[in-house]
Amino acid sequence: MRRRRTEREIREFRARHGLLAPYTLWSALFILVPLIFVAYYAFTDNNFNFTTDNITRFFTATSQVANADGSMSEVRTYIVIFLRSLKLAIISTLICLLLGYPAAYIMARAPEKAQKTMMTLIMIPMWMNFLIRTYAWMTILQDTGILNGILGYLGLGQVHIIGTEAAVVIGMVYDYFPYMILPIYSIMAKMDIKLIEAARDLGCSGVSVLRRVIWPLSLPGVISGVTMVLIPSISTFYISQKLGNGKFFLIGDAIEGQYVANNLHFAAAIAFILMIILLVGMAIMKYFVNKKTYGGAR
Amino acid sequence: MKTASRIYTAIIFIFLFAPIAILLVFSFNEAKSLSVFSGFSLKWYQELFRDSETLGAVKNTLILATSAALISTVMGTAASVGINKLRSRWYRAALDQVTNIPMINPEIITGISLMLMFVFVGRIFGATTSLSFWTMLIAHITFCLPYVILQVLPKLQQMDPSLPEAAMDLGCTPIRAFFKVELPEIMPGVVTGMIMAFTMSLDDFVISYFTSGNGFQTLPISIYNMTKKTVTPKMYALATLIFFVILALLLLSNLSDNDDARAARAIRRSQRAARKAERMVRKSREPVENPVRKIVLPIIGFVAIAAIAVNAFVGRDTLELNVYNWGEYISDGSEGSFDTIDEFEDWYKETYGQKIKVNYTTFASNEDMYNKISSGAVSYDVIIPSDYMIQRMINEDMLLPIDYSNIPNYQYIDESFRGLYYDPDNLYTVPYAYGIIGIIYDANVVDEADTGSWDLLWNEKYANQILQFNNARDAFGTAMYKLNADVNTTDHAVWDAAFEELRTQLPLVKSRVMDEIYNMMESGEASVAAYYAGDYFTMKDAQADNVDLRFYYPEPTNYYIDAMCIPTCCENKELAEIFINYMLSEEPAVANAEYTCYASPNRLVYESETYIEDMGEEAMAVLYPEMEDFSELYNKYAYRNMSTEMLHYLNTLWENLKVN
Repeated sequence: MRRRRTEREIREFRARHGLLAPYTLWSALFILVPLIFVAYYAFTDNNFNFTTDNITRFFTATSQVANADGSMSEVRTYIVIFLRSLKLAIISTLICLLLGYPAAYIMARAPEKAQKTMMTLIMIPMWMNFLIRTYAWMTILQDTGILNGILGYLGLGQVHIIGTEAAVVIGMVYDYFPYMILPIYSIMAKMDIKLIEAARDLGCSGVSVLRRVIWPLSLPGVISGVTMVLIPSISTFYISQKLGNGKFFLIGDAIEGQYVANNLHFAAAIAFILMIILLVGMAIMKYFVNKKTYGGAR
Repeated sequence: MKTASRIYTAIIFIFLFAPIAILLVFSFNEAKSLSVFSGFSLKWYQELFRDSETLGAVKNTLILATSAALISTVMGTAASVGINKLRSRWYRAALDQVTNIPMINPEIITGISLMLMFVFVGRIFGATTSLSFWTMLIAHITFCLPYVILQVLPKLQQMDPSLPEAAMDLGCTPIRAFFKVELPEIMPGVVTGMIMAFTMSLDDFVISYFTSGNGFQTLPISIYNMTKKTVTPKMYALATLIFFVILALLLLSNLSDNDDARAARAIRRSQRAARKAERMVRKSREPVENPVRKIVLPIIGFVAIAAIAVNAFVGRDTLELNVYNWGEYISDGSEGSFDTIDEFEDWYKETYGQKIKVNYTTFASNEDMYNKISSGAVSYDVIIPSDYMIQRMINEDMLLPIDYSNIPNYQYIDESFRGLYYDPDNLYTVPYAYGIIGIIYDANVVDEADTGSWDLLWNEKYANQILQFNNARDAFGTAMYKLNADVNTTDHAVWDAAFEELRTQLPLVKSRVMDEIYNMMESGEASVAAYYAGDYFTMKDAQADNVDLRFYYPEPTNYYIDAMCIPTCCENKELAEIFINYMLSEEPAVANAEYTCYASPNRLVYESETYIEDMGEEAMAVLYPEMEDFSELYNKYAYRNMSTEMLHYLNTLWENLKVN
């Protein structure tokens, strides 16, 4: 008995390292090494001499901004841009979660055939190029667009959406919604229905079943979903250009603009800082969620 | 509860499919517009099937997405299983973080960083073209992997770990246990991961853009490069077709899922399971296999197949010519027009008796083109940049002198287009098209008395009706011309003054636009905009009933020329010159001028009777206004190359403006 265990452990050890080897090698070569290039560019000037100017510039560059009353005030350019991007991304992520969570639940509880159909339906829009989809939203949201056409026909007045934060958020929610719903759904589909039934039988109300059983069990999916929506919405530039009427200058725009101006070193610096902030942010989030999940299980 | 969830699901799907419905409807639009529906027509579908460039891009996109999805799914699933079993917390935490990186990195940086690395490695090995299908595939696999792992890993964590252990206790090898017990359990995650990887790859633009080389262009890249002109409704037709194909597949798979078939399959499955169990018991006594082989071999096999598939498209003995041009900037056979690239290939074969394949790729801006070529990782034979960029490329020794004796048709280029500032000695360039920036306005909104100068863009009467360029050079240009200042000055004070002008204009501007201008002007969403003369006609053709677009030239204004050049990375200069000469001959030149709607410097074009007739009187008057001396006006007002220091200063001003 003892000897067999050891043999199996060796086999398992070999298996898991064998399985991991291609991925470890791949990520070292194509994820880590390119990052070294980013860092190298971020900390060098055009002649590749070491400098921290690019990093300093991110935190200290200032602009004059007009206030509502016409007066001027000085702001830190890139800090403002970053906070603006973060705000829009967080709003979009929350809306995705609020809309997607119940939808994922409904999907996971539907008959198997309907589940398959719904999943395909959710993916279909993504198979049509996102540039074109965003274009279609312009047609809908424009002041002279389809939405206002319908509202006018029904006698409900007009709304002004295009060029506002709402339009950018709609675009982000639309584009990244599937990334929220799919991971949550795939966790919920695996969830043991007996747990929910048991909780019900033991007198739990609907709300407390959700809070104490379903929610904690679905947390890994929620984390995946939040990550997959939050990150791309922070760094997007196309959506804000099209639906924000080019008026919402986001951190993605800043990087793209620096690249076009052939200022690769500063572009790399912005990216480097953004990356550090996001990595630290995600690590903190994971830490707290893990703590909570294990705490809740006790 | 049931009804409530039905209604909720319905609302979600309406939200998801509203834009798709729009695409569907407008794919049948007669006009080239996504905002004004002028009548039912199937012509965009015909166009789509006639357009070999677009179909080629679709094929490329599918090859890439399929390969990337399969490889990343296999590698990602294997990795997830490995990560899940890892005992070393340190290794695991490190892998977790690394997996997050491609998702946390802005796409543009993943793209640039991979490009930098590929170029670097390419230089070490002395390759002239280090960017190719393969670099794109590597990039796609890299950004797809985390999505697969994020789908599969939670499934594994959710699985009861005693299941595979039980299987192994019963004598399974770890591999058997994986395929028989774990894999079926995590299958939903694997499938979702693969679909996500496929989808991500299909839809990716930014990373592909940086890692793509010559000759392999995917659909998102060609669509993005249409941003100077407008996206053609062909693309809506394509989207509609994709939609119906998927819908059909879905219906088919549901139909085949009836009860009888399912019962029959269940019986077959149980029989198979029984046989497998037998085999398993036998096999489990055989020696342990190396799992690496199981994972790596399929990958290699697949890559090999993909390689053959890709290479099969290009015959070995065929000449190749790489052309790099603006999106939507060549007559492509749509609406019954002349298909320049196809015709050139046929003509070359007839004349020289050898097959040639033109790899035609597009860019969205001069700067994108410059960045790509200066990376040294691509090889193009003919490029068509604008004047100020040509000046810069000549300064940086990026262009080859042209042998004009190989281009007899150069004689038809009008004298006023020779010896201009960017190429004073006529060594490097053959002009392709030129134009003037003018102001487009809606006569139903704008008072005729307010027109005539740049002031219209600053007129408070039309607050929230005005559009401004969404790029620094052109936006500052409008302010500089308004101030009658030198657009190429190195005097910071002048740029600051232009900045102030733009800042006062801010509250009046509805939107900063490039190609969005078409939608907005056609539908009456906005009423005043500066843009290129030729594009005014495209908008006018598609304008809504209550819109009446007009056009005028303010003074002074911008003149520009796009010219054909041969970059130093050219591999077949003589062939490039033959191509340039062909582009100047009457039929292609007229077709291109009619297609792009920009003015031509070629006498064979503007003196051609069919051209004059096709364009009509108004267009001829606008495109070829009477000018005393084009070259003098041009040299005075055209954009010139600016120093890096000035470009950075301009970009800083631009950012300051946009933070507002």
